[in-house]
Amino acid sequence: MATTEVTSEIIGSVWKIVKSQGDSVAEGEEIMILESMKMEIPVEAPVAGTLMEIKVAPEDSVEEDQVLCLIES
Amino acid sequence: MSDRKLENELGYWEEKIDELDKRRTDAAKMGGEANVARQHAAGRLTVRERIGGISDEGSFREVGTLAGTGTYDDNLKLEGVTPATYVAGLAKIDGRSVAIGGEDFTVRGGTSFGAQRRKGGQGGYIEDLAHHYKIPLVNLIDGAGGSVTSAKRRGFVVFPGVDGFERSVELLGEVPVISAVLGTAAGGPAGRAILSHFSVMVDGTSQIFAAGPPVVKRSLGQTITKEDLGGPKIAVNKAGSVHNTAATEEEAFEQIRRFLSFMPTNVWEHPPVLPVDDPVDRCEDALIDVVPEKRTQAYDMKKLVGMVVDKGSEFEVRPTYGKAVITMLARLGGRPVGIIANNPKVYGGAMDADAARKQIHFMELCDTFHIPIVFFVDVPGFMVGLKAESEGTLREGMRAVYTAGQLKVPTLTLVIRKCYGMAGMATCNKNDIDLKLAWPSGEWGSLPVEGGVAAAFRREIEAADDPKAKEKELEAELHAYSSPFRTAEALAVEEIIDPRETRPLLCEYIALAQSRLKINLGPRSRAGVAP
Repeated sequence: MATTEVTSEIIGSVWKIVKSQGDSVAEGEEIMILESMKMEIPVEAPVAGTLMEIKVAPEDSVEEDQVLCLIES
Repeated sequence: MSDRKLENELGYWEEKIDELDKRRTDAAKMGGEANVARQHAAGRLTVRERIGGISDEGSFREVGTLAGTGTYDDNLKLEGVTPATYVAGLAKIDGRSVAIGGEDFTVRGGTSFGAQRRKGGQGGYIEDLAHHYKIPLVNLIDGAGGSVTSAKRRGFVVFPGVDGFERSVELLGEVPVISAVLGTAAGGPAGRAILSHFSVMVDGTSQIFAAGPPVVKRSLGQTITKEDLGGPKIAVNKAGSVHNTAATEEEAFEQIRRFLSFMPTNVWEHPPVLPVDDPVDRCEDALIDVVPEKRTQAYDMKKLVGMVVDKGSEFEVRPTYGKAVITMLARLGGRPVGIIANNPKVYGGAMDADAARKQIHFMELCDTFHIPIVFFVDVPGFMVGLKAESEGTLREGMRAVYTAGQLKVPTLTLVIRKCYGMAGMATCNKNDIDLKLAWPSGEWGSLPVEGGVAAAFRREIEAADDPKAKEKELEAELHAYSSPFRTAEALAVEEIIDPRETRPLLCEYIALAQSRLKINLGPRSRAGVAP
């Protein structure tokens, strides 16, 4: 089992969390949507696995490289 | 001829040929079995294996084979030769000649070779080969440059630049130069790696920095591993010092071959046109669904570009750096093109300092080697905010505008969605074919309506009973003017196209540009002072 940190590539805020803790995700599947530069920026799973922990909530501000959630695969 | 004379001559020649064979054999042994085994154990190939892995089979013609340090007995008879720390020569890649060489880490860790004349690195003979034959240079870097011990051997310390970078700099305007960082590169070899058109390093077995961990420890008191200091996560993804990462040395060789397949042999020649299986008149119906109706939703720009260019022809340069812009070499109708596409998934495609630097390098690359540029535009402007301002986005962004303003290569600008402000100006080239196409989803202006209304109508909005509603009302009014068709009425954009027609049209325009390219071959001159 390996744990993968899913990080934000951008500065912005969390708009919507699409998946829930414990959900299984496929590679490339949308986990949450951030808002930045008036755009909805999807955060996609870099690997397939189970969503172990979501570290942010809607309207939270996020920084570049901030860990948003963990995937176990 | 008497028998005796013949015997003498044969003896004379046998002796000479035997010595040549011995010297060649010693060269092929590199640093000896133990050092070669150590190189393999570290997960790295030897320089000779690397040259064999990149070039066409049997095509390597070594130059400077015998350079090294000979040892002799009391009668001055040769005992053996420790080869020079660099292996160099000519070879072919996909049938085309290149100058190729690299440090031999198995000999004194690839440190600079203290002969009268350098074989490789800055100012080395390998660079003369590329310069005089006007052929690409492939530099396989695996050495730490100068060593303080060489001063003891030499008897004095060298002045910086005696073996200078002048030829390395000259080559950047003449022939494609490739650097592969295949070990730990510091100092001169690290600098040499940067002076290239394309560079690649291998994840896990290569690092690059101005100075390594011992120097950092001594200078700053910081303890850091060489991987944390100069592995691909820093050197490629953060710093952009090296362009691409490869998982293995073999993948790095494949990337080098792919990059060179788009390049002309030198700036006096055209880039190579290949036969194409993908029909140039292919209309891709799926293109109509790529851009979401909702303006605030991102989409996959790489997928979009992939549907337009010759299938499977894309080679992305710097995929992990400055990700707000995508730079890739590809083909349209078999002809090489440079694709510069904004990435709506990163800051909505807004140009930050890294993206600007990436775009500048790629524009100069295409301009130098006569590769037409196609912009796939979706840029809302320069990136905003304290971080962006602190990183010099305004200056770097204007440098992109400055570089675009000096392009001589034919350029097509295709607006997919947004094209705003100064970042939008960096996607056009008025010096050559100045053709601006747009999809019906295109929108443009000095700045997006949403950003401008609040500033331009501040008093009016504040005075309204419902300021929010007033702002929305004003935005809606101005949006009506931003239809791309109204700009086309004024011929301020040359053509609005159906997304499905994109490939046939781009192929046609790129084919047309060939006559224009013919009259513009040769080196590029750049004037002025970049901002």
